[in-house]
Amino acid sequence: MATLKVTDLHVSVTDEEAKTSKEILKGVNLTMNTGETHAIMGPNGTGKSTLSETIMGNPHYQVTQGNIMLDGVSLLGKTVDARARAGLFLAMQYPAEIKGITNMEFMRAAVNATRPADDPISVRAFLKELDKNLEVLNMSDDMAERYLNEGFSGGEKKRNEILQLMMIKPKFAILDEIDSGLDIDALQVVAKGVNQMQSPDFGVLMITHYQRLLNYIHPDQVHVMMGGRIVKTGDATLATELEAKGYAGLRDELGLDVDLVDEDVTTGNGGR
Amino acid sequence: MVKSMTLTMNPALLENAKLANEPRWLSDLRQQAWQKIATLPMPIFAKINYHHWPLLDFASESVVNVTVPESVQSQLASYQFASVGQVVAKIALDEDLMAKGVILCDLQTAIRQHSDLVANYFFKQAIQFDENRLTAINAALVNGGAFLYVPANVEVTEPINLLQVQDSRQSTNFVNHTLIVAGANSRFKVLQRSQTVGEVANPAHTMVEIVAEAGSYVKFSALDSFAKQTHAYINRRGYLANDARIDWAVGVMNDGNTIADFDSNLVGNGSHTEMQTVAISTDQQTQGIDTQVTNYGRHSEGNILQRGILLGKSALVFNGIGKIIKGAHGAKAQQENRVLMLSPKARGDANPILLIDENDVIAGHAASVGRINQDQLYYLMSRGLTKEMAQRLVARGFLGVVLRDIPVAEVRSQLVDMIERKLANGQGTE
Ligand SMILES: Nc1ncnc2c1ncn2[C@@H]1O[C@H](COP(=O)(O)OP(=O)(O)OP(=O)(O)O)[C@@H](O)[C@H]1O
Ligand SMILES: [Mg+2]
Repeated sequence: MATLKVTDLHVSVTDEEAKTSKEILKGVNLTMNTGETHAIMGPNGTGKSTLSETIMGNPHYQVTQGNIMLDGVSLLGKTVDARARAGLFLAMQYPAEIKGITNMEFMRAAVNATRPADDPISVRAFLKELDKNLEVLNMSDDMAERYLNEGFSGGEKKRNEILQLMMIKPKFAILDEIDSGLDIDALQVVAKGVNQMQSPDFGVLMITHYQRLLNYIHPDQVHVMMGGRIVKTGDATLATELEAKGYAGLRDELGLDVDLVDEDVTTGNGGR
Repeated sequence: MVKSMTLTMNPALLENAKLANEPRWLSDLRQQAWQKIATLPMPIFAKINYHHWPLLDFASESVVNVTVPESVQSQLASYQFASVGQVVAKIALDEDLMAKGVILCDLQTAIRQHSDLVANYFFKQAIQFDENRLTAINAALVNGGAFLYVPANVEVTEPINLLQVQDSRQSTNFVNHTLIVAGANSRFKVLQRSQTVGEVANPAHTMVEIVAEAGSYVKFSALDSFAKQTHAYINRRGYLANDARIDWAVGVMNDGNTIADFDSNLVGNGSHTEMQTVAISTDQQTQGIDTQVTNYGRHSEGNILQRGILLGKSALVFNGIGKIIKGAHGAKAQQENRVLMLSPKARGDANPILLIDENDVIAGHAASVGRINQDQLYYLMSRGLTKEMAQRLVARGFLGVVLRDIPVAEVRSQLVDMIERKLANGQGTE
């Protein structure tokens, strides 16, 4: 079993032009073991992507306090590629497009990145695995031969993130809004891909705005994030509760001092 | 522009360059060109200062070494023609093709056995000997090259591959001229592979003329890898008659300083060229590459695509010149010149130059000088690729457009290897 542990994490971003620094994460605590499925929900702009990018090692985000540890070893000094090789994977909210590199050639390079230099995966084994995963995700062969994400639709990009996940087989995957922009059928396909990964050696953290994803990928723990902190943790029922109450409702219940951008809308809807 | 440096060249150079039993027309051409060398200006390469390069440091005693080195021997199987300096290492044309009238030989044999044919094209249609000092140098001092003639209506499916090696195992002059003639409605692919053996510093002058007669289609690709100590002047030019087409795919992978001029003269109506070039400059290297399309013919079309990568403290300038002559109604000229700098100390430039003298034409250009996209790099690295590997992938993708068009798989993989090697080692000592 592997453990990913985030303790008292404070993260700031610097605005390059204004030279001002803004604190986004204000003391996040989170522990995940392989074999577990976690979900994070929270209002827009609260720092969910910041948390995932910081765990992954995006240099835009500065850790000012706290730690991120994988099996007791701090990841803070490690670059993104080293963290990936250590077993982390982030399905990004906005994956980059890269012309001139085929999806397949990229995935092979990624698979080989975690293997010893003198023992690359054989072409045959790679293709076999690729075919299998393409089939699970209802993706056509030519998606593998196209340039990386180039011209992919929103939904195709999400599927492609999961394809990479299935090929790379990390210890921990963070899926940042993997469900956004997916139609109902696609959501089930993507969920099938993720569920196939489930094993005692794999842990997943899903970031989502919708309880529906959790019907397909069942979480052991649901965390609610607000104002740069995890303010409540519970089981799958917490997501349902949240849909009923809205974030403002939960905030008031917890007596938190957090501004919510869309407060009027939530209450105006009769969300509580 | 430097008009003309005062120049004195040793007359022995002219004598030494002469091939055995030269026909009169060639000796006359040499003589005429020789007399103009001193007064003609050097060719213009915008934003490249190369006038101090030792391009004219010729050896007055040019030595010929007749042994073909092992490094060349081992490559011969892929080529129908191979030369090392002035020595012909191989000529092996398919018998079928010979029966159809295809000619492939070295220049010396060509002027002996096909003198009239060569005289019709050599410095006649594509390149004029008196355009500038370096064209005159080539005409006066040419001492090797190849001749490929494909008669009218002959179609050749397999590519014809030429290996031309600069012999720098000693001080020697490499003034090469390859003439390719595509008879009317002929179709073929030709590959020119240029490289250096040996460690001596010699300049390289290499020229290719392609005369594409009406309705012919030539796919020309080239891979140049002259050595670090070689200063190279490369000039390749196509002359296209009505409805002729030439597709160029050129990899400029020299390790030394280079100026290169790739041109297509779209003389015929409906003629068409696609000119693609990739280049990498590394370490302290400077390379200037001009690609020019001149539309004379009505409805002629020329597209330029140049892509380059810079590392270390190198410089690379792409000039794309699109020139549409009055009367070229319905002409099309597009160009795209892009350079990617992988080092903060490199100097890259991409200049589109459009000179248009007709109204009903379509012309456009895109140019960029950029650095590697950090979001792309982060994305690749987030899947475990090291920074170096991720950069190499992005860079290879950036150049990938031209790779596809190299017909010989082995040369294609040589180009990929060269790109990888340059990307891995080219930053130099910083
Ligand atoms: N690179 C950055 N530079 C400046 N501000 C940033 C940067 N990244 C995030 N932020 C800011 O930090 C806050 C948190 O952003 P983040 O993307 O983490 O939110 P989120 O919870 O993922 O929201 P959403 O649900 O909309 O995806 C926002 O106010 C955002 O504008
Ligand atoms: Mg987000």
